[in-house]
This record gives sequence, C-alpha cells and structure tokens, in this order.
Amino acid sequence: MPLFECIELSKAFGGLQAVDNLTFHVDQHEIVSIIGPNGAGKTTVFNLISGFYRPDYGQITLDGDDITGLPSHLITQKGIARTFQNVRLFFNMSIMENVLVGQHSRTKGGVFSVILRTPGYKREQEKARATALKQLSFFGTRLAGYRQNQPANVLSYANRRRLEIARAMATEPKLLLLDEPAAGMNPKETLEMADNIRRLRDERGFTILAIEHDMKVVGGISDRVIAMDYGKKIAEGSYKEVTDDPKVIEAYLGTQGGSFTSK
Amino acid sequence: MSIKPGIRYGIISFGILFYLSILGLPLPRTLGGFGTLALGLFWAVLVLISLVTMRETDQRRYTTIEAVTGGLLISAIAGFGMALVVGLFGRLIADGVQVNTVFAQVLPEWVGTFTGQTKQEVQAGVSATTALLRFALLMTSAGFLGAIVSRGLTHSSRERWHDWINSPFMYWLVIAMPFVFYVWYFALARGILGATNTSISGLVLACLFVTAVLVALRRVRDKRRRLVFGIAFVVMLILLPQIGDQFQNTVLNKIAIFSVVGIGLNIVLGYAGMLHLGYIAFFAVGAYAYGLLASPDSYFVINFMGGDGITFWQGLLVAAIVGALMGIIFGVPILRTRGDYLAIVTLGFGQITFLLLLNLREFTGGPGGVLDIPPPTLFGVDLGSAESILYLAMIMLAVVAFMTLRLNDSRIGRSWRAMKEDEDVAATMGINLSTTKLVAFAIGAAFAAVAGVLYATRQVNIFPDNFALKQSIDILSLVIIGGLGSIEGVVLGAVAFAGLPEILREAENYRIVAFGALLVAMMILRPQGLLPPLEHEEDIDVSDRRQDAWLQIFDAEEDDQDSAETGATGTD
Ligand SMILES: Nc1ncnc2c1ncn2[C@@H]1O[C@H](COP(=O)(O)OP(=O)(O)OP(=O)(O)O)[C@@H](O)[C@H]1O
Ligand SMILES: [Mg+2]
Repeated sequence: MPLFECIELSKAFGGLQAVDNLTFHVDQHEIVSIIGPNGAGKTTVFNLISGFYRPDYGQITLDGDDITGLPSHLITQKGIARTFQNVRLFFNMSIMENVLVGQHSRTKGGVFSVILRTPGYKREQEKARATALKQLSFFGTRLAGYRQNQPANVLSYANRRRLEIARAMATEPKLLLLDEPAAGMNPKETLEMADNIRRLRDERGFTILAIEHDMKVVGGISDRVIAMDYGKKIAEGSYKEVTDDPKVIEAYLGTQGGSFTSK
Repeated sequence: MSIKPGIRYGIISFGILFYLSILGLPLPRTLGGFGTLALGLFWAVLVLISLVTMRETDQRRYTTIEAVTGGLLISAIAGFGMALVVGLFGRLIADGVQVNTVFAQVLPEWVGTFTGQTKQEVQAGVSATTALLRFALLMTSAGFLGAIVSRGLTHSSRERWHDWINSPFMYWLVIAMPFVFYVWYFALARGILGATNTSISGLVLACLFVTAVLVALRRVRDKRRRLVFGIAFVVMLILLPQIGDQFQNTVLNKIAIFSVVGIGLNIVLGYAGMLHLGYIAFFAVGAYAYGLLASPDSYFVINFMGGDGITFWQGLLVAAIVGALMGIIFGVPILRTRGDYLAIVTLGFGQITFLLLLNLREFTGGPGGVLDIPPPTLFGVDLGSAESILYLAMIMLAVVAFMTLRLNDSRIGRSWRAMKEDEDVAATMGINLSTTKLVAFAIGAAFAAVAGVLYATRQVNIFPDNFALKQSIDILSLVIIGGLGSIEGVVLGAVAFAGLPEILREAENYRIVAFGALLVAMMILRPQGLLPPLEHEEDIDVSDRRQDAWLQIFDAEEDDQDSAETGATGTD
C-alpha cells in the first residue's frame, strides 16, 4: 500500500476545471515531482491535500486513512506538512518561534500549565526547543545560532525558503509537500536546495512530493515525475520518460512557460 | 524649496488652530499663568509636526535655511491668521453681534485669552492691535523654535539620531527620569515646594513617573541592571499610594484598572489579531456580576440570597468564570468571521449587552444602575479607600501582566501570534483555529471581568452608561495608541486615556479633537504605537540594514561564491 494516494481528485473554480480527475500516489521514502506549465493546477493539488479547499470529487488517503475534507490542522496532525510557493512565514515572529509553531500539534501544554510553568510543561518545551533547533541546524549555520532570535523578516529570500522548510519539518510529517522550493534562487542556491531535498529523504526519512519548475532540480531529485496540464495528469514516470513524452513537450511549447528546455 | 509647502502647511495649521479655538481651545484658560507659554509650546509642536510631515512627503531632508523659512512661514501664516480672526471677532463682539449663536465658544473671554483683555474691555471695544501683534510675533518665534528643533531632528541622519538615542548620556537620563519625577511628586505632595492646591500638578507628576518607569524598563536590557532597577521601581510603586491624596489615588487606580482591561483586549487584538469592538461587554459583565450578587438592593440578593451578598473575593472568582464563559459564548458565533465583519458583529454584541443592562430593569436596575456595591474587606478591614483600591488594582495588574507574559511566551501565545499573521498557514502548522480563538476570547474576557469587579467597588454605584460604546472605543484606542501587543504600551495607553482626561478636566471637547489629531499624527510618525513590542520597534530601514550587516558576516564565513545571496535581497 502506498503511503499517500489521491484518487480521481477534482476541483473546479467556477467554470475552470483546475484539477481534473487526478490520480496518483507517493510511496514511502520516495521523492515525487509534479511539473507542468503555469496554471496547470499544481498548487491547487497542494491546497486540496492540505485542506485549504474541499475537493469536488475524489479521495485523499494517508497511510490508508481517508483524510479527504478534513480541516487543515487535523491533516497536519495526521502527518502532512507543506511550504508555499509565495513564502508565507510568520514574519514578525522570531526564526526560532516560527519553527516552534511547527511543534504546536506535537505538544500539549494548556493554559494553566503554561501559567504555572509546571515541570511537565517545561520538559515538553525543552524537547520542542531541541527539535526546533535540530530542524534549523539542517541548514547549517544559516538559520541556527545567533540569528535565531531575530524576526523572520530580516532573512534573505533564500533563507526564508529554508526556514519555511524547517518549519514544515518541525510538524514531524510523514509526507512533506514542497511548492517550488527553489523558485527565485540563484544557480548555486538551487543546486544546494536540490541537495537538501535529497538529504531530507536520506537523512531525515521524509517522503517528499515537490512542485518544481527548474528541470535541473527535477532531474536531480526525482524518483518519479508527474506532469500536469489543464488539471489533468498528462504523463508519469521517470524523469527521462516524462521529459521525452511528446504530450509534455507540447504542453510546454504551447505556453509561454516554454523555459522547459532552456533551463 | 520650502516656500510652497510652507505656505500650504501654514494654511493647514491655521485651519487646525481656528477649528480648535472655535471649539474653545482652552489651554490658556486652564493653565492660568502658563497659558501663553503652553500655547507657544503647542505652536512649536505644531510647526514641528508640519515640518516633519513636509519632510516625509518630500522624501528628503531640509537645509537649515529651508527648515527655518518653512517654519517661519507656517507659524507666521497661522499666527497672523489667528490674530486677524481674533481681532475680527473682537470687533464683532464689541459691535454687539451675537457671535456665539454660531460659534458657541467665541465669548468675550475667548477673545481675552488671546489679547489679555478682560471681558469688559472686549465688550467695550478697547483696541487690541498691539496685543494681537505681539501675540502673532510671539507665536512666530515659537514656530522658529519648532523649526530649529525639527532641523535638529531631520538634519541628523537616522544613524546619528540612533547614536544619540543610544548614547550613554541618554541611557542614564532615561533611567534617572523615574527617580526625578518620583522625588518631585513626593516633594510637591508633602508641601516641600511650598505650593498649595497641588492635586492636578501632582497627578501630572505621578503620570510622568509611571511613563518614565515604562520607558526606562524598556531601555535597560542588561539582565542584572534590569533586576536592580526593577526592584527599585517596584518599591517605589509600592510606596506610591502613600504619597498621593485621594484624588490622585482615584485617578491612578482607574489607570491600573483600565490597564488590566487593556491587557485583556491586547490578548484578543494584539496577540490573536481579532478586532473585537464589543469588548466592553466583558468588563460590564464582571462589574454587574459582582454588583448584582453583592449589592444589598439588588434583585438577586433580596430574593435569592436572603439579603446577604457575596464578598469581593468571591466576586472576583465568579467574574472570572462568568467572564470566560461569556467570552466563549460570544466567541462561538464569530469563529468563522474575519476582519471587518468580525468588528461589525462584535460591535453588535457590545450594544446588545448595553441595551440589556438598560432595559432589563427588574434585574439590572435599568438606567438607575446598581447602587451601594460593598467595598472589599479583608479580615474585617474595609479596603474601600482610594488608596486600598489602588493597591488592589496594582496587584491585579501585576498578576494579569505576569500571566500574560507567560502565556505570550508559550505555545499558546505563539499560536495566537501565528494566527494573527496568517490564519491559513497557522492551520497548516497544526493549530486548531477555533480553540485558539476561544482560548483568547475566554482569557481576554476573564481579565476584563475581574477588572470590572474592582471597577464596580471603586465606583460604588454602576450604571449602563459606564459601559457604553464610548468606553469600548476608549479601551480600543488605549491599546492601539500604546502599541499593539505590548504590555508596557497598554499601561502607557491607560495613562493617556484615564489620566489625561482628569488632567485636562476642563477641556473635555478639546480632548477628543486632540486625540483625533494625535491618532492621525501617530499613524504618520509611529504607526506601530508608542511602546510597541520590542521586535517591531525597529523600522524597516533598520532591519534592512541589519540584514545587510549580517549578510556581510555571512559572506565572510561562507565561501565567496555565496555572495549571490546578497543579490537576492540587496535590491533596495
Ligand atoms: N482560489 C481560486 N479561485 C479561482 N481560481 C483559482 C483559485 N486558485 C487557483 N485558481 C486557478 O486555477 C488554475 C490553477 O492554478 P494553480 O495555482 O494550481 O496553478 P499552478 O500549476 O500552481 O501554476 P504556477 O506554476 O503558476 O504556480 C489557475 O488558472 C488559477 O487561476
Ligand atoms: Mg503554483
């Protein structure tokens, strides 16, 4: 049984069929990439999975549990975390706090134990802090250290993306959804990000579903690639198979996002 | 050049002054001998604000010449304009025209405050040309002063401004201020300075002391020094009620009570980001819960409790529970409402509560209110004096502030702040938005309700009018003016909203206009409030600079190719 599965997922916005009868799965320990031209419906798939929208039709399962239509926080508690295409950090909170928020559903302290600082609460917080620090340290000294008590808005763009991933990791997910993790990065940072994504799987054991435009990254990380266009899955397979698929080439050439080969 | 904007802002300043004065700008009258001085200062500040605004719109600094021409233009236009208007009104009054049928405040005395004449002289039409000329010139020189100060502010670059603010001299000055005001207050109250009738001026000093403590505490970052000065301030605060007279203590306890309410609202609005306009309802619920269960005249005490009301301490407990429950009950229907809609719906809740208090006459006493609410007692000792209530209020404030600090720096506080910044993202972090909101409502409401109990015994008699929309707006403004999300800010806001009106008692109309102006000025100059939470204190420019600074360190420690990191953000 696959770790994660979407079956006949569909979502329309008014007359626009953003996701159309989409079926795919992700196996434990796998890195799967979703590609497709702008507006293909990739982000919408993530929004459906993470509970922002309720699908019109179809089913989403994690570990065999049906999670279709659950509210976002329960989906996170079940073990799916995500990042956002347009980085959405808590900019006025410190870097450490951003990651600690990720630990929210893995801790329990209530109002009274917080006010009284009970030993149980203190222990729990120390653990949460240690976990948070571990996630920040995943990116070396870029987020951890003297910087971690500064507000997130002082971070550079690339570090904001890294922090978003660290924050998602802190929710201790089984499946990590990354929406264009390398977007807006320079070539060196992009390579590093590809490396990081592999390490997320190899060292931390996450299963990863990533949306990515940069074909070097897609080729470098993916065990399997899914190509979408107009909400439909148009191809699936290894990187080579998908990029050689005439339907995929046509989808890219037919749009302005024809950066497919140039990148 | 600054001539055109100078003329423009001169006309605007004149408009503001004219408007304030026909509302009865009462500064000269209220402050007696200090009137002209105060007016001059006010003038200087007006010019200062105009110049700073000019600079902000112009996006550049002014040279000395420009600042001085600008400042002189502004103050001269406004000063001579006012002199002209006053002279005109004086003429009309002397000619027997009933000016005050149109401008109610424009009486002979009003003209007299500018010209230094008596009522009779104005009515007799004694010429005041020289007096008015002197007035205009005096205000022009005050404007010159404002221009010089503004030059000092705008000329030095932000860095130098920061250097100056951060200099050791300023540091120790800020720390010394609370002691100065405290000793001054003490000397004044004990008659050492020889003055009589020191109620108002003493209150001014007490308020300044509180403000100075807040500013100093924020300034001292070093842990050991914080502890030392913290203890010193606490001791001074403990002795504070012993210094003041009854009037001062009454105002101070109001400040403390409103600080508690403000801290509660700050949880809902400042941390959790929900604009609750009916928040006063929880304050009312606490006050009425205690009033109705304790007052010997209350329907409940007579019919169900055999004439024996509950004690103050029981009242606190009841209010905390009832308040929290109300917070939840009012919270459930608005869980899915956001932003503007939330504000409108909660505004309705506040009005409903007010109308219920007003119209359920049989239970609540209707417009007649609840009377004879008993004072707190401890081991038979009556704690109803202004002084005792101030102590109780300070203890309550300390406890509530302590709980709030702990909550804020915990998973609960983090979930509030995360939710405030981005509800959807907070949800994907595993935060249950409904519980998080309800916890904020419940705690905020409970704080307001216990403050209400103290307020009820302070007032002895409470009426629905104590909990009307106006109070709701006052509490909202005190939280916003002080700085959303910071406890010191709330207390400072409470000083402004509960203390200032008492100081400017004779100037009620003017107060509202002045606060309006203050709000507008603040939105331009300090949108984050007077004492915002620390992490917001530095504006964007500074955090950009900080970012660049650490990127340089970063570049040095990483290999040199990595410098492209700066490229991603270095776009200024
Ligand atoms: N909330 C919404 N309401 C209406 N239309 C939407 C909404 N969200 C997405 N869409 C539309 O659905 C289509 C798919 O959008 P989506 O963001 O999923 O594309 P994408 O594949 O992520 O594209 P990109 O590569 O640009 O990120 C687009 O046409 C978009 O305009
Ligand atoms: Mg997208």
